[in-house]
Amino acid sequence: MNERINEKVAVITIYQPYGGKVTPYKIRWNGRDYLITKTGYHHKVRSGRAVYHIFHVCTDTLAFRLRHDPDTLHWILEEVSDGNAD
Amino acid sequence: METLINHDKPLLMHIDLNSCFATIEQQANPLLRGKPLVVAAYSTPNAFILAPSIEAKRIGIKMGMRVRDARLISSQVIVRTPDPPKYRDVHLKFKKIFESYSPDVTPKSIDEAIIDFHDVENLKPDLVRIAREIKSRMKTEIGEWIICSIGISTNMFLAKLGASLHKPDGLDVIDHTNLIATYKNTTLLDLCGINVRYQVRLNMGGIHTPLDFFHASCEHLEKRVFRSIVGRRWFEKLRGFEADQKDFPTKSIGQQYALKIPTDDPKALSPLIMKLCEKMGRRLRKKGLIAHGIHMWFSYRDHTSWHRGRLMNRDLYTTMELYRHAQLIFNSQPEMKAITHMGVSCYELTENNSMQMSMFEEDTSKARKVADAADELNDKYGEFTVVPGLMINMDNLILDRIAFGGVRDIEQFI
Repeated sequence: MNERINEKVAVITIYQPYGGKVTPYKIRWNGRDYLITKTGYHHKVRSGRAVYHIFHVCTDTLAFRLRHDPDTLHWILEEVSDGNAD
Repeated sequence: METLINHDKPLLMHIDLNSCFATIEQQANPLLRGKPLVVAAYSTPNAFILAPSIEAKRIGIKMGMRVRDARLISSQVIVRTPDPPKYRDVHLKFKKIFESYSPDVTPKSIDEAIIDFHDVENLKPDLVRIAREIKSRMKTEIGEWIICSIGISTNMFLAKLGASLHKPDGLDVIDHTNLIATYKNTTLLDLCGINVRYQVRLNMGGIHTPLDFFHASCEHLEKRVFRSIVGRRWFEKLRGFEADQKDFPTKSIGQQYALKIPTDDPKALSPLIMKLCEKMGRRLRKKGLIAHGIHMWFSYRDHTSWHRGRLMNRDLYTTMELYRHAQLIFNSQPEMKAITHMGVSCYELTENNSMQMSMFEEDTSKARKVADAADELNDKYGEFTVVPGLMINMDNLILDRIAFGGVRDIEQFI
């Protein structure tokens, strides 16, 4: 199941000064906390001059696609997936 | 000449990302790993599969199958639609890795590239060691699930053949010492550039295996089998000599679309043609080119097709200029039938530095300035911020896609 969400969520991140990496650590969505166990992939997407950071992260049972807007500092939960067939 | 084989040191490396789109999806989402996954054009049952994962391939799911047929093979198959920005990002990352070994890197498609080591030959590169290092760097710098097959040889054809011998995660060198042994263990369809129709042509010329193909004389291939210079090129390629061009100039720019619901209604089709022309026009202008010809093709629900190209005696630059001529071709269809697929392309491209003005038509220079200004706004605020009126409310139609083999424009998207 893969579901489009497009909701703002609260995100705690970790910044690693060596290498300058930022990775989501915990998400709060619908009143529940999800501890991130792995970042699968991080890339940027462009829309005109705006650049967004896309983080593909997961817990042990759910995978999330998060979009971070460095201009507004908003975090948007774009998609949730349980990794199973629809 | 018949037994001549290229004895040079193999200095070409072909790298092929295995099950590219599906592997990248599994990299991004670890919960998909080890499961049969397909990336399809759409998630609907009729959609075509663009890339099955290695696990899906193992149970018989192939590229080009319909989603419905894949689900008949396994009800557990997971279907995902393409995410082009992610695939382009991976492409640029692996290209960056390759460029750290040689300045001569030619991407052949979104998931394939050739590294030519001739320019750095005096550094005595150990290509097998470099290939192992590339495989390891792809895992550490892109993602641990990313695997690739690598072929090393004296020409691009044999390097690609080498990369296809032991998929996934293969590494093969083909040179004069093992060329004939390699041909003994392959079929004609394993050779890049030989499809079923070419196989029949070779069979008619008495060639049934790659070894027969290798032993055929140049004259036989040129005069009897291919009846053109193509025969000579095959004769050279099979022996490890370079006969293929590494890069081709852009000869045409095109867009295509598969309709969800087939229709013959011009009111529904005209906005789609406009959007295709806008996307095509954006790419044309970004490359600093102007076109002089327009070509359109249509596939109909009754499995027939029709196409027409028209060369103009004027420059085509703005979306409206392209659209007007595309619409003329659309209107000249001999019969209006329900369309399932259509495409538009522009050709006869020249540099945009000396546009010819028409003496008899309205002044087009203002329209071209408006097109450039609209492009600038779209570059700044995002694609389709400023669009022709016909395209209003079309945001979700004609999605961003990656063409097979087309990576020339890839850096425009990043």
